[in-house]
Amino acid sequence: MPDQTTHKSELNRLAALTEKAELGGGSKAIEKRHNQGKLTARERLALLFDPHTFVEMNQLAESQAIDFGMQKKKVPGDGVIIGYGSIDKRLVFAYAQDATVLGGSVGTVHGRKICRIMDEALKVKAPIVGLFDSGGGRIHEGFFASKGVAGMFYRNTAASGIIPQISAMMGPCAGVSVYSPALTDFIVMVEGTSQMAITGPGVIKSVTGEDVTLEELGGAKVHSEITGQAHIVAKTDEDCIQSIRDLLAYLPSNNEEFPPVVQSRDDPFRTDSSLEEIVPADFRKAYDMRKVITRVVDQGSFHELLPRYAKNIIIGFARMDGQTVGIVANQPIFLAGCLDVNSSDKAARFIRLCDAFNIPLINFVDVPGYFPGVKQEYAGIIRHGAKMLYAYAEATVPKITLALRKEYGGAVMAMCCVGMGVDQMLAWPIAKLVVLDTTTAVNLIFRKEIQAAEDPDEFRDRMIKAYDHKYSNPFHAASNMLVDSIIEPSQTRPALIKALDMLKTKKRAKPFRRHGNIPL
Amino acid sequence: MADVNAPMPGKICEVKVSPGDTVIEDQEVLVLEAMKMEMPIVATAAGTVKSVNCKTGEAVQGGDILIVID
Repeated sequence: MPDQTTHKSELNRLAALTEKAELGGGSKAIEKRHNQGKLTARERLALLFDPHTFVEMNQLAESQAIDFGMQKKKVPGDGVIIGYGSIDKRLVFAYAQDATVLGGSVGTVHGRKICRIMDEALKVKAPIVGLFDSGGGRIHEGFFASKGVAGMFYRNTAASGIIPQISAMMGPCAGVSVYSPALTDFIVMVEGTSQMAITGPGVIKSVTGEDVTLEELGGAKVHSEITGQAHIVAKTDEDCIQSIRDLLAYLPSNNEEFPPVVQSRDDPFRTDSSLEEIVPADFRKAYDMRKVITRVVDQGSFHELLPRYAKNIIIGFARMDGQTVGIVANQPIFLAGCLDVNSSDKAARFIRLCDAFNIPLINFVDVPGYFPGVKQEYAGIIRHGAKMLYAYAEATVPKITLALRKEYGGAVMAMCCVGMGVDQMLAWPIAKLVVLDTTTAVNLIFRKEIQAAEDPDEFRDRMIKAYDHKYSNPFHAASNMLVDSIIEPSQTRPALIKALDMLKTKKRAKPFRRHGNIPL
Repeated sequence: MADVNAPMPGKICEVKVSPGDTVIEDQEVLVLEAMKMEMPIVATAAGTVKSVNCKTGEAVQGGDILIVID
């Protein structure tokens, strides 16, 4: 210890502490990570932010725990790096768990640091990104650690709908490190190296006797295809970081702002005659709705979320003349595009996300109805289906619906039609806006007459033609103002952009209430 | 080994592969008619078709194993 304090002596002291903090769990642990194909927490942050913009906060905060040998294990930073910087020149906050320090476990100080940066993000209303790589709470510190954990949940919820929250799963995560992400807006998972589970294989084995690996239990495949937790799957750490930057580009900094508008190189008046070939007029033929979406939106701007979960509905961001929009679309090549429990959940949450962050909604509709069956009814399609109704009715952002082909039955309301507060209802000339498909309708209406007819089949066919001509078309709906405009398929892009433009200044005041009671 | 299951009850319209064929992931292997729609069913993994357990015109149940890929 020097006799007298000088600038130099204290700078040296700071440098030594900084060096120690920056080394985290040490060079051996860092090397081990690199061999596993993983980046360190610091390398991840360096990639996430624009060069030289990241400012670290509370680098020297360290664990105050003394029991169970913890005093000797403490490292400045306590296994998490927090701070702020620029992403595409916009302010963003972040925290990154450092698995080389005590496994990235959430100790008291670790938790307090994350809470601190969340408070900061919420104070100035800028997005927050969490890079998770942690086994969960630090049990050596007893119940103390739970305050930080609970504090994270509390702040995730407080920030919900105010600032965008993105979570990236970049290692095996359990406990707090999965529930906090679940409360945020987006989860990105790295394939092969990240897992999410509430209870691990060991506990499962001892309680239920099931044999399962962590990857089988909660790998990227499970969460992107079965549970619907992982919005995006990345191949590597680098891909994961890039996908976070890509996502942020579609989002505003907070709920009071609009998403950034990019200079579009795609002509807003571009027409596309290939749409008539992609979408067969024969309603028995399926087609890939993604082909329609990618041709209508700004070229290369469609960013699908949850692409392998509940594939009967498509959700994602895109841009129209440079402006972010949210796309909700039925997918006829999967379950005929029917709505079911999982697709309703998937769409409803996305609709509310768009509504929270001033992102207009465009709905591409080709829906034959709800998927029938005992399984669906028992799974609670009434409650889950109601979420979509609630989400659309509640949303105050511009809502534009395009009926491409089938607009059948109750599912029509769930895709936002007139009466559900749609702002512009458009339809293609081949669209059929009906309560039931024609054959079923005729069989029900003319049941007795068909039975009594001399030639029942001929009579049925005649009635089908008559019903089709009268009701199964958009003209009948347009005559009743249930459709605002019937547009040529080739004109879809310009028609949608004009409607969006007109609705730009839409405002609808919400009455004061604590919050609604969405069927969860 | 990967199974291609029927995603919903329906009728097989077309079988596009035979045992021994090599398939890539997401390749169309069947056409299933259900909910008055003809839908492509794709391979869940890349590999060789080990067996085809359905034929054109056959009614299948949701979850039925239609094709096994090895």
